[in-house]
Amino acid sequence: MREIEPAISARGVTKSFGRQRVLDSLTVDIPSGVTYCLLGPNGSGKTTFIRAIVRLLRLDGGEMSVLGRPVSEVDKIYSKIGYMTQHKALYPDLTVQENMEFYAGLYGLKKQQREARLEELLEMVDLSLHRSRLAGALSGGMYQRLSLACTLIHEPELLLLDEPTVGVDPRLRQTFWEYFNRLAGEGKTVLITTHLMDEAEKCRMVGYMRAGRMVAEGTPEEILHLAGLRPILKLWLAEPERDAAQLQAQGYEIEVEDGVVQVRLESHAQIKEVLTSVSPLDMRLAEPKLEEAFLRLSEAT
Amino acid sequence: MNRPAAGRVGVVALRVVRQLKRDRRTIGLIVFAPIVLMILFGYALSGDMSGVHLGLVDGGGHDALRAHLVSIQDFDILRLGSESDAERLISEGRLDGAAVLGPDGVRVLLDASSLQISGAIVAAVQAGTATERAGQETTGRTKGAESAFVSRYIFGYDLKMMDTVGPAILGLVVFFFTFINAAIAFIRERSQGTLEKFMVSPLSRVEMVSGYVLGFSLFTILQSATTLFVVTTLFGVPLRGSPLTAMAVVLLLGAGALVLGAFFSNFARSEFQVVQFIPLIITPQIVLCGIWWPLQSVPEFIRPFSYMLPLTYAAHALRAVMLKGAGVADILYPDLLALGIFFLIFFAAATLMLRREVA
Ligand SMILES: Nc1ncnc2c1ncn2[C@@H]1O[C@H](COP(=O)(O)OP(=O)(O)OP(=O)(O)O)[C@@H](O)[C@H]1O
Ligand SMILES: [Mg+2]
Repeated sequence: MREIEPAISARGVTKSFGRQRVLDSLTVDIPSGVTYCLLGPNGSGKTTFIRAIVRLLRLDGGEMSVLGRPVSEVDKIYSKIGYMTQHKALYPDLTVQENMEFYAGLYGLKKQQREARLEELLEMVDLSLHRSRLAGALSGGMYQRLSLACTLIHEPELLLLDEPTVGVDPRLRQTFWEYFNRLAGEGKTVLITTHLMDEAEKCRMVGYMRAGRMVAEGTPEEILHLAGLRPILKLWLAEPERDAAQLQAQGYEIEVEDGVVQVRLESHAQIKEVLTSVSPLDMRLAEPKLEEAFLRLSEAT
Repeated sequence: MNRPAAGRVGVVALRVVRQLKRDRRTIGLIVFAPIVLMILFGYALSGDMSGVHLGLVDGGGHDALRAHLVSIQDFDILRLGSESDAERLISEGRLDGAAVLGPDGVRVLLDASSLQISGAIVAAVQAGTATERAGQETTGRTKGAESAFVSRYIFGYDLKMMDTVGPAILGLVVFFFTFINAAIAFIRERSQGTLEKFMVSPLSRVEMVSGYVLGFSLFTILQSATTLFVVTTLFGVPLRGSPLTAMAVVLLLGAGALVLGAFFSNFARSEFQVVQFIPLIITPQIVLCGIWWPLQSVPEFIRPFSYMLPLTYAAHALRAVMLKGAGVADILYPDLLALGIFFLIFFAAATLMLRREVA
């Protein structure tokens, strides 16, 4: 599944602030053309990692390459990178449109191209109606949306988005994720940090950081599997004890809780097999949560 | 880094102008503060300078004469280091005359434009030498002819206080506002996170600072135009040179103030701390730039410091342009040169301080 040349490749990357080790020989490959979600508790080093990628800070050790270049040369390809900082970088005393025009200008977009981009992105972040409002007068989520639009204005190949969806309402978050996945489909690389697990599930790949290290990495399915989490089928039965015993005899992993029989499935295909043996009054399927997987994985390390 | 591109400089300049334009209070301050200051100083300092301003270059040996001159109520004595200082101040209209005392005799320099005052000075020196001679006779040492003094006339002006202060205030106001506004603007770039975003864009540090210089210059032009207008029309300060030359001086001074502000923004964490720089950066300039009292009267050990401050040169150049009709060629050395060097040093310093890498 992975492309030959990763968009970002970090090998044993280390960074300390004073005596605190924030990146602890972090090794990770971020393939190009995917959405990659970086997860981890507050202070685990996500922002620090992103800042190291764009060389806003110097590494103490390790090697890193970005879009095929050593990180020391990353300033030569800044026009290919879109960086959305965690503290949203906008001018509150400029209007929505002026902010976007400014960033478009920095990247040297020509008038025609700039206007087309502006319209497209205003549409995407749903700020067309607010284009002449001062950025400082926008609501929190709108401010966030404008910041994203400014980051995307020059059609970067590599997107580094530090918590781009904080405070954005669910409907727009949906739009954002569709957009991110479309960008990835066009061959762009999108690295996103978030604290929302449901967003992580929408990414092609996820990586979970803790105390400057990568605890687990892979597709969401791989992570669940790695943590040993499986879907659970809950059955409400007329005679729970008898049916439970029968299923157990057939080799299923069973647990009974408050008269509800819970079957741990190896795969979703097993649902059909289970239903040939018993006829439940009611049933529910509980999918495993990525969140739980990470909790397990970080306990294990 | 890429080569500096005019396009990106223009983009930054346009943004700075848009921001300043929207900030009504700052615009108000930029335009009206100079006017208010002028009116204030205009009333406080209007009218002729009272008393006789006499320079005193004391080379020793004439204690009695010196004591006599100092004791005269009407005389405002300014102690100077050398005869050439005295000459310059008289020609600039800031002294009415000077007495140069030395072992080889006494010389009196007089302003030819105010003969009445010259007469008073001559009379005082005559009286002083007479006392001195009387003292020497009682102690038995007779030197006779040596005590006679030589007088020389220099062509100066008869200036009002506002005439000398007005041009300098123009410089002061521009320096003050540009420094503060620039420092605050750079602090905001930092705290808003926009600086971090710049660093990860094709915009170079040189382009960014240049963009600021360009954007602020438009406001400096607006500010100096209104101030020049007020100084000349309301207060009748002469404008003998070209207003464009005066504007060029102010623009160079403003550019220097901007990069100085950008540089010092690195040492402040908040807008509040910027305000705390005022006593450190602004006050010494006001005191030492030669607006209120001539540089020649600043104590010797501080004087080199005066010559390091941009406002000193700007005030001198503006005075030359407005009062004496000096052209660009006349103020090129040392004034414009010094302002240019100051700008370049702090442009480099401000640019280098905008570091991309942290730690
Ligand atoms: N410039 C700095 N100087 C000193 N310490 C820093 C600096 N930047 C980050 N740190 C520290 O490094 C650690 C990791 O910070 P980082 O911002 O990378 O975390 P994060 O994973 O992005 O957290 P969050 O989810 O809260 O955004 C924190 O303990 C933080 O205090
Ligand atoms: Mg962070």
